[in-house]
Amino acid sequence: MPVRVAESSAPSQVSGANSGQTTPPACTLLSVGQAFSGTQNVSSSQKDEAWKVNVCIQGCDLEHGYLCGTMEALNVPMADTPVVTFWEGEIVDTKNYTFFTGKWEAKPEDDIRHWIKFPSFAPLLSQVEVDGGKSLDLSNCPYIFMRWKEQYFVNVGTDCGLTIAGFYYVCFSCSDGSINGFYYDPNSSPFQKLELKSTNEGRFSFSSYELQ
Amino acid sequence: MPTSASASPSATASASASSIAIAAGRNHSDLHARLISSDGEVQLKALRELKNRIIGNRTKKLLYIKLGLVPAVADIVASKAETIADHESSLLVQSAAVLGSFACGFDVGVRAVLDAGVFPYLFRLLSHPDEKVVDAGARSLRMIYQSKLAPKYDFLQDKNMDFLVSLLNCENENVTGLGASIIIHSCKSVAEQRALCRAGVLKKLISLLDGSLSQRDASLESLAAIIKNNVEAVSKFVESESTRALSSVIELTKDRYPRTRLLACICLIVIRNTSPCYLQDIGIKTKLVYLLLELHDDPGQVGDEASFAFSSLIAEKEDLQKLAFEANAIDKLYNHLQKGVLHPKRFQGILLALADLCSKLENCRSKFLSLKALNLVTNALNHDSSDVRAAACICLRSVSRSIKNLCAGHFMNEMIVFPLVQLLDDPCTSVQVAALSALGNIVIDFTTHRSAFVQCGGMKQLVQLTKSMDSTVRSNALRALRNLVFLAEKVCKEGIFLELTASSLASLVSDPEPFVQEQALGLIRNLVDGCMNSVEFIFSEDRIILDAVGRQLRNASKAEIGKQGMYVLNNVARGNELHKEAVMHQLIPQTDNGMQSFMIKFLQSNDGQLRTAAVWTVVNLTFPSSPGAFDRLVRLSNAGVVSQIESMANDPCLDVKLRVRTALGQFRTFGIGST
Repeated sequence: MPVRVAESSAPSQVSGANSGQTTPPACTLLSVGQAFSGTQNVSSSQKDEAWKVNVCIQGCDLEHGYLCGTMEALNVPMADTPVVTFWEGEIVDTKNYTFFTGKWEAKPEDDIRHWIKFPSFAPLLSQVEVDGGKSLDLSNCPYIFMRWKEQYFVNVGTDCGLTIAGFYYVCFSCSDGSINGFYYDPNSSPFQKLELKSTNEGRFSFSSYELQ
Repeated sequence: MPTSASASPSATASASASSIAIAAGRNHSDLHARLISSDGEVQLKALRELKNRIIGNRTKKLLYIKLGLVPAVADIVASKAETIADHESSLLVQSAAVLGSFACGFDVGVRAVLDAGVFPYLFRLLSHPDEKVVDAGARSLRMIYQSKLAPKYDFLQDKNMDFLVSLLNCENENVTGLGASIIIHSCKSVAEQRALCRAGVLKKLISLLDGSLSQRDASLESLAAIIKNNVEAVSKFVESESTRALSSVIELTKDRYPRTRLLACICLIVIRNTSPCYLQDIGIKTKLVYLLLELHDDPGQVGDEASFAFSSLIAEKEDLQKLAFEANAIDKLYNHLQKGVLHPKRFQGILLALADLCSKLENCRSKFLSLKALNLVTNALNHDSSDVRAAACICLRSVSRSIKNLCAGHFMNEMIVFPLVQLLDDPCTSVQVAALSALGNIVIDFTTHRSAFVQCGGMKQLVQLTKSMDSTVRSNALRALRNLVFLAEKVCKEGIFLELTASSLASLVSDPEPFVQEQALGLIRNLVDGCMNSVEFIFSEDRIILDAVGRQLRNASKAEIGKQGMYVLNNVARGNELHKEAVMHQLIPQTDNGMQSFMIKFLQSNDGQLRTAAVWTVVNLTFPSSPGAFDRLVRLSNAGVVSQIESMANDPCLDVKLRVRTALGQFRTFGIGST
């Protein structure tokens, strides 16, 4: 979801890939076509504010630790229509990506500061501090940790007064499909919280496509 | 005056054309008469004249074939093959040369020579005492064996194998070359590869790697034919004489002749593709990538063939695609594409190489798109050659695997979609299938441009192709429709459903081909997803589709069919009470004929995804706030489904385990199941 422009800064491009051991399992609630809705808290020192957010998963390639989709912010004050962005996700699978971001102006201490806000991360902390979690076995972990980075605005121009310079630290619960996230951009309010729930609740439906 | 000036040359041209035709006719009857003359000297002169006229000239070859000169030349070989007189030898040498020339690089010529019945006589020349006759016969036969029309050589007959070995052991370079050509032409099966290895051919060919230029090339090409996809033959080759053979081939990649370098590369690629344990060294992989890219610069046949070799090196191999990307392969291939009019084979090869490069890696696709290569590829969709058109579609298929660009709607525009839709009518099935596969990706458009595709007639064409006699076309058309309705709005789904009809969809679910069934089920799964009204699609025409899905699930032989079908039922089961009951009817039929429900079979499947789909369906059917949930749970319990799910509490697949936990939680709200 875009946030208000404060000051623009280009993210550095350093590879975060590394070889690892055991990857998180596939989860039907995090498959293509799955939708989520909730809010992002964009409060600042001046006022409390939360924007409604819808997310839809549009691509998933577990082998490459890749996920992508769209994020729609519904009641953005300075926009006439809902603002839709396309994002790409890095799944922390210890094979393609570790808990250390290694780019987007996020240092390991920034990473830890954000990951630790997820209670499910606590058991992993000590190992992550050592090696970014490279040697962790995540195959039985009921949570999937990711980074979501918005790539472009789908329905508005870049001159819309919003920025997508930052990225989200995300924790997905495989049990109920709930998503929690924290937006990180050194130039925006810290720890903007994203809270989403699966829109499927009680009526689980799954569609699929097949690329050739 | 302009008028009379233009009339005059035209009249002259017309006069010259008729005089050429008359002259050709006269020349022909004269040549023919001389070829069948009883005077050997006259015949010899006629043969030399004919040879000089047709060398490298397809038009002349065709003319003389039509005028019936090939049988006259063939008669000379047939009548003199057994003679040993000196002047007869000259006749044999010249007539064999003429026949070889007719066949050289020209299938019509090969056909004419074969039709003249001279093929066995040319083989007889190989036993002639005069070395020149042997040489001419071997040359001529080599030309014939370079064509696909040449008769297949049966290696499995002992006498044939002995003869082949004798050819390879011969001192004459053209005779050994003929042996190699026969192998390249006819060695196709594992049995033939084994027979050749047993007869010691591999060893002989390895020794020819040290021979002359033509022997080296022939040896490299026939070695590739013998070891291709044959692990046993590859290890025999690699381990022979302390890996000297492999080193020799690697050394030949540095040869001064481009063709030798290309053939050595192909040989190494065959080894690696057959037995990936060999040539793992990053150095050799990188070297092959650079070498093949360099060989594209050759303006001739080597350059044309280099792209195909490059494709076989990188196809399906992400590590090699990455190396190729780092070697700027996309820029280099794009530069070749930009060089104006290309030979169709070269054009096809480059498009296929780009397709392989963009098949897996997103950074390759981004690079491709940033170079504006897309315009060149879309132009190729209208190329005269069907091979080029198909290759352009395959290239678009690879590039359109980019979800990032699909989401941005970069492919759903008239420049790309219109010509692709037109190709759905292409007379060539391979083009049709390739266009379908590219469109199948492109229609996964997350923007609102799907209507443009429908409006240009694309959807109707796809529906039409689901009725094709060709099962691959049916399957690809269904896949494209399945992708088109993925997360589509109700109105788009309605349009497709109306065009397709419930009855044809039901018969596609029961198609004889499992891969067609799977796509039909995938399409229905997406149709009934989305808004709640979408579930109704499956109930039209007296539930004909739902019944077909149920029948297919009861007989499902493949897990994939089970998965797609189960998700159809799952998506219907999230509906209202009527919908849920209809699913129950499929899971547990009223008339109990003692058969176990397929649900139990799926819950016990080895495929975790199938088990997940089955548990999700139970979760939807027993959601506690639905009025009929308890009654359904009792019936599921009586059918053994509840106890089966209870036994899955510690399923090894986490997704299954978590869904089982949800299901058990729902069971407990009704007091059913163990606590």
